[in-house]
Amino acid sequence: MPAQITELTFIEKLAGRFNLPVPEHVTADASAVEIRDALKRWGDRALVKPDVLSGKRGKAGAVREVTDAVEAQREMKRVMGVEVGGRLPRTSYMVQYIESEFEAYTAVTYDSRHLGPVLTVSLSGGMDIEEAGEDGKARVPVDVYRGLDAYQAGEILEKLGCPKKLVSAFSRSLVDLWDMFISTGMRMCEVNPWRAGPDGKPYACDFKAVFDESNFKFKNLGFELPEYPASETAFEEEMAEWNASSHQGQAHVAELGGGTILPILFGGGASTIIIETLLQNGGSPMFLSDFGGNPPYERMYGTASICFRHKLGEAGLVLILGGKANNTLIDVTFQAIADALRAYVDEHGPVRTPFVIGRGGPRLVQGMLAMKDTLDALGLPYVIFGPDTAVTLVAEYAARLAKACREGGGAG
Amino acid sequence: MRAKSFRDLLKAGDRVAVSNITGREAAKVSVESQKYCGNIVGGWALGKGGEKIEVPGGESIPVYATVEELMKSLPKKKRPNRIVVYSPPPAVYGEVKEIIENGRETVETLYIITEHVSIEVTAKVAHICRDADIDVIGCNTLGMINSLDGVRAGAVGGDRPAESFRPGKAAIISNSGNMVNTMAAYLQSAGVGTAYGISTGKDVLILTPLKDLLDLARDDENVGLVVLYVEPGGLYEKAALEAAAGTGYPKPIVAYVAGQVLEGRDLSLGHAGAVVEGGGTSARAKMELFDGYFGGKPYDPDKRVKKTKALEDSLGRGIRITTLHHLPRAAALICETLGIERDFEPARRLRLNPWFVDMKGLAKHLPSRLLVQEGSIPEPYSSQVALIARETLGGRPPRRDMRNASHASSNDGETARIYGRPVEEEMGRGSFAETLLLAWTGERPGQRDAELVEKCLIASITNGPGTISAQGAKLSASAGNMPNTAMIASLAAMGTVHGGNGKRGVEYLLRTFRDTGLADPCDRAHGIDLDMLARENVRRFSVAREAAKEAGAEYERVPCLGHPVFRDKEVNYDPRERVIAGYMEENGLYNVFLDYYHRLAAEMKEAGIARNVWAVNLDGAIAAVVLGICWKPLREKRMTIQRASDIAFLLFALGRAAGGAAEFLDHQDHGSPMDMRIPVDECSALTKPREDEEADR
Repeated sequence: MPAQITELTFIEKLAGRFNLPVPEHVTADASAVEIRDALKRWGDRALVKPDVLSGKRGKAGAVREVTDAVEAQREMKRVMGVEVGGRLPRTSYMVQYIESEFEAYTAVTYDSRHLGPVLTVSLSGGMDIEEAGEDGKARVPVDVYRGLDAYQAGEILEKLGCPKKLVSAFSRSLVDLWDMFISTGMRMCEVNPWRAGPDGKPYACDFKAVFDESNFKFKNLGFELPEYPASETAFEEEMAEWNASSHQGQAHVAELGGGTILPILFGGGASTIIIETLLQNGGSPMFLSDFGGNPPYERMYGTASICFRHKLGEAGLVLILGGKANNTLIDVTFQAIADALRAYVDEHGPVRTPFVIGRGGPRLVQGMLAMKDTLDALGLPYVIFGPDTAVTLVAEYAARLAKACREGGGAG
Repeated sequence: MRAKSFRDLLKAGDRVAVSNITGREAAKVSVESQKYCGNIVGGWALGKGGEKIEVPGGESIPVYATVEELMKSLPKKKRPNRIVVYSPPPAVYGEVKEIIENGRETVETLYIITEHVSIEVTAKVAHICRDADIDVIGCNTLGMINSLDGVRAGAVGGDRPAESFRPGKAAIISNSGNMVNTMAAYLQSAGVGTAYGISTGKDVLILTPLKDLLDLARDDENVGLVVLYVEPGGLYEKAALEAAAGTGYPKPIVAYVAGQVLEGRDLSLGHAGAVVEGGGTSARAKMELFDGYFGGKPYDPDKRVKKTKALEDSLGRGIRITTLHHLPRAAALICETLGIERDFEPARRLRLNPWFVDMKGLAKHLPSRLLVQEGSIPEPYSSQVALIARETLGGRPPRRDMRNASHASSNDGETARIYGRPVEEEMGRGSFAETLLLAWTGERPGQRDAELVEKCLIASITNGPGTISAQGAKLSASAGNMPNTAMIASLAAMGTVHGGNGKRGVEYLLRTFRDTGLADPCDRAHGIDLDMLARENVRRFSVAREAAKEAGAEYERVPCLGHPVFRDKEVNYDPRERVIAGYMEENGLYNVFLDYYHRLAAEMKEAGIARNVWAVNLDGAIAAVVLGICWKPLREKRMTIQRASDIAFLLFALGRAAGGAAEFLDHQDHGSPMDMRIPVDECSALTKPREDEEADR
């Protein structure tokens, strides 16, 4: 899950810092009096929203319009406990409803066609940007050094037919939006919709942003990103923490739910292909994994230990597979996996799971023989392939073998 | 782009320089590259200027402190035109600026290998390199190979580039570095070699987009076929295929699109994944784009095809494969249909070729179609397997940087540990020998093993003041040295003859027992005919001794037999060895090595090599005890042979160093300074004074 924020954090932490006008709001911990006063101030019209990391606009129907304080309190409590797109909200909040004929969409992203940042503006706000026709949409590359200036922004808005009385204020807001994007290390930010307030200013009425975790500006954001109820499993959570602890080698996993094949896979490309081949052939991988990037011994040992501790007990087959490595030292990675396996057996007792292994790369034979010795010592069945057998053929075979083991009850 | 054809990105005669070249990965890859093609003229790393990276069998690589120094130091003709950037992510932007500032005149291409470069920095790098007319591959690329010229920049091809990359007509363009290597190897099955393999990088921004790379392939006369590995994210393929369709791209493309499994799952696999750019970025959308461009269905190996004009037209544009191992057959179909000549005789068809199989009890539960047999291991792996398989004993732990790391000890600020066990816990157990074995073997010993080691240590403390190790300590005391120096002197007086015999004993026993299949040296039912083994060894020894005697040469003695003191009886024993043997007997213990040693001594007498039965000395007992403890980890390859034999030496050395300390303390209290000096009249002159020198005087 990438580092991201939604409207509530934006309103509380960033909007003020970057002069971006936002509707007033109260959070779920507000008292009944505060809620009543706010609603009164806002003309008895407000929106109750869950604070949840969910993609689609309207948070899949979880946003409710409220007109009185009792209803508002009830709704805030209710939406807090309702999953949106399989995710639980962190909290809920109520925002002032901005009555407006005008709606606009804006996003700042990095764009593969221009190899730099691009500002997208549409005056058909409120709908998903993909749904807006090309006619009403402007995509303007922004010079990553010079940034966006108000003149440029004004030109874009005028070209799109933005109401004249809004152009000046909206241009300023777009410049402020850019400033926020570039000074906080975002990779994408989206305001959808902007609505014009009675004061003639555009208000950012919903927001989401994704940060680039490699950008040092994100690391110096000045506030902690809020914690959302975990949608990750304990396995994913432990591996994510382990992955973040070092830049040497990757330790990415994502659970697929259930499954019988424990995949220890190397290389983003090969991993994807192998999982696809397993699924195409009736194999059932427990998770996606990518453990490439030449991990040192300790890194690989830790990664394999986490996999075994969480998954080996349930696995019908262990698949250790990667293409022909350019860089990853096979003796180091395989020795680490072998040692982690021995440690698991020492602690949890013997296992009977068959191993299918396929790999190529530097110091291959030493690595393979280290694995073979360990599997022999532990009495585990195995088939080991070299780089002359295609990874997809190995994956096909592993899928069929796992299926046969499951049906025949051959492996525990 | 500055390059006008693929070859312009990398060719023979190019000079490559590497940033942060002393880093773990950069140094390793640079050495491999230098061995492969020798195109690296230098590298730089802050604080490492003046160092050299040694290349076995090749020219060493000079390291400079900065790129500025590198550019100034190298003669103009040797200045690099390709730079491989291995700098850490926060340094990449500054590094690229420095490269541009100092290398504007010569540098044509940057290969940025660094992962985790921020998108903002990537965009800035694109900007400044475009202005400086420098092409950028990356970030997060693995580099490029030109196998026609036999050169590479970066790590493509690993440590055996020539194995996957046989020269040919394919240009492989891949979002995944690994897949460049893998697909090149697969293509060999179709008789298609690789002209160029390039890893584009897989970050959000790919700084040399597919459209540009297809243009380079089009304008390169060496390229006859383009092979693509494509992942989700970005509109690179859309832009490339729209351009290709618009201009009538003249070369066939085989494309594999991966990543459909990720769709709708909110997952990524380390690669950057899609940017919010609307349609065309998902795997499915990319598959549709390729199918639309090719104008045909994806490759189906079960479908018989007729050579028609429509097929020729369609394959002229190319075909998509849905499984990676269809690549050779799809490439072959294109070659056959379009009349493209193969680069070489097709290598063996891709098939399951297991190198090692042992299904153990599982085999009887499986259908026969899943019971694969061991195939043939190709060279050079086959020879390597044979070489390593001969080693039935001893592990080969992977090498790593050990400057600031240790398995033997650790300290987290609160607890000091020995192989992960708290020192306090060890102190509570109360046996020095037990903890010593933990520290030396990494494993906690059994109580009996610890007691045997304790006896060996005690026995090693002294064998009287005349032993040369004791003399070392006494000499040191006599010279007025500090206690540690006296212990060092005692240790320094040990060597392969005095004290080192236990080590040689372990090595001898390992040679003797390594092929016997011995499982447990403490089990009397070991199933080995020890007398026969002893006879055979004595026979071999006898032959070698006779031959050496005839030639007047030295011969290798059997270690650990005989003792200068215990030597005159019909059957001799070293009393210290007797204590150890007696302890074993009392406690029902058995040690096959000690048993063997006694039989060997008897066999020596029997064969007439010895006049009486030599004693198995203390070194023999130490060797037998140590090997008894180490045999299992050696067999399970958890311990190196070197360690096992060194432990035998260290055991004696530790005991004797303590004995040396005793001699020092004693001598310091009771002796006088310089009292170990031998008076002049007790020394003999073995040479006469030379007459000519006398005359000169």
